Amino acid sequence: MSEKDSLKEGPGAATAAPPKEIEIIELDGHGGHTLEPQWKRLPIGPDHILYPVLIGLAMFPILMGDAGHHLADDMPDDETHPFFPDHFWPYPIIAVVMLIAVGLLAWFVQKNLQLEASADPRAVSIPRPDWYFLFLFQFLKLGNEFIFSIGIGTVVIILLLIFPFLDQALGRKVAVRLGWKSWPVPGRNIITGTIFVGALVIIALLELWALAGPGFCLPWFVNSPVCGA
Amino acid sequence: MAIPHPRDVQLAAVRWLDERYPFTKAVDEALYQRVPNFANAFYYCFGGMVFILIVFQLLTGVLLALYYVPDASSNPAPAYQSVNFIQNQVFLGWLIRGVHFWAANLLIIMVLLHMARVYWTGSYRAPRELNWIVGVTMLFIILALALTGYLLPWDTKAYFATEVTIKITAGIPIGPVSAFIKELLQGGPVVGPPTLQRFFTLHVFVLPALIVLLMYVHFRFIRAHGISEPL
Repeated sequence: MSEKDSLKEGPGAATAAPPKEIEIIELDGHGGHTLEPQWKRLPIGPDHILYPVLIGLAMFPILMGDAGHHLADDMPDDETHPFFPDHFWPYPIIAVVMLIAVGLLAWFVQKNLQLEASADPRAVSIPRPDWYFLFLFQFLKLGNEFIFSIGIGTVVIILLLIFPFLDQALGRKVAVRLGWKSWPVPGRNIITGTIFVGALVIIALLELWALAGPGFCLPWFVNSPVCGA
Repeated sequence: MAIPHPRDVQLAAVRWLDERYPFTKAVDEALYQRVPNFANAFYYCFGGMVFILIVFQLLTGVLLALYYVPDASSNPAPAYQSVNFIQNQVFLGWLIRGVHFWAANLLIIMVLLHMARVYWTGSYRAPRELNWIVGVTMLFIILALALTGYLLPWDTKAYFATEVTIKITAGIPIGPVSAFIKELLQGGPVVGPPTLQRFFTLHVFVLPALIVLLMYVHFRFIRAHGISEPL
């Protein structure tokens, strides 16, 4: 197997297309990438006043190290586009839109930013965490505090961390059981995607239950009834 | 002596760099590498949005740190008074604090959406398992940043919420371990000035440094592996 062939392993190898007759730039240690041809680029060469801006933009990927063999290297031209400016341009716009959005929230939704009285350990207060921990606060009411906090919490963290390996080990068996012809199903990940979205829905429901307040109580297997926060 | 045209100075600088490093080649390689068309789908932007929000957090965090006093030694505490000062006296302080607050909330939502995209497209699969682990670690660091940042205003709400959080974290039924975790986080028998000092150190020094480091690793992996396949 030639060196060039060996580069066509990994993601995208299946969609390998014949090599194109356009400029290839050789960089350290690998066969290089097909780049946007010179005549298609914006006319901003090393003598252009905006070239330092391009250097600034390029610094980010340069600092991230050499690019490996990417999926796009094996795809036909009409299925790819250059990083700059085609792929890059939405991001400055997204950044500005997001800055305006959070600025408007800061302006119009001041209520959440108002301070209560300075902390006093002698004060009596019903603690209620911010929304991103509120589901956990509600979850703890559903059973033994240790099991539901440290126990399940630790298990969830470990499962999240090792998920790719679990998927690799168990995925094929699940696929066989479901009668699928191949694993992983190319480009689709219905089961794990749905499990994650399902987990988010459970979190959202716990969140709503907590937000409904102490007056909203539901029957539960343990500590029944369980009320909101 | 004629004054050189700025363009000639720029060209000379680029040539000088080129003689020492394949500079223009590296710039071309970085900018004009091709990206699959499917990467233009909106859900592939979630990761970039997380990055943008983290940059907002770092910038506004530095500005807030110019005025914030991590001291809870009296009542009202200087920490509380400094946040009050930022909110009501400092020019545009309310806006900087507001952007920091709302961007933090948005950040958690965007991280979850990014994770959902990664799940949905199976982007955690080989050879990207390590990058998945780095990403999940970053999620926990973002949650830790949210948790430690919540105490910093040192108002009643923050105080009691943190007290409960520490109680839960130290809920391990092994006495010495529980006491050690409690002491480590609280710095004393109750939530007090040492707790604020510790949370401030974590929120401002340790966790941001970790997240910047992990972001670098995350991006290096993405650069090495490229974008994953579409839905």
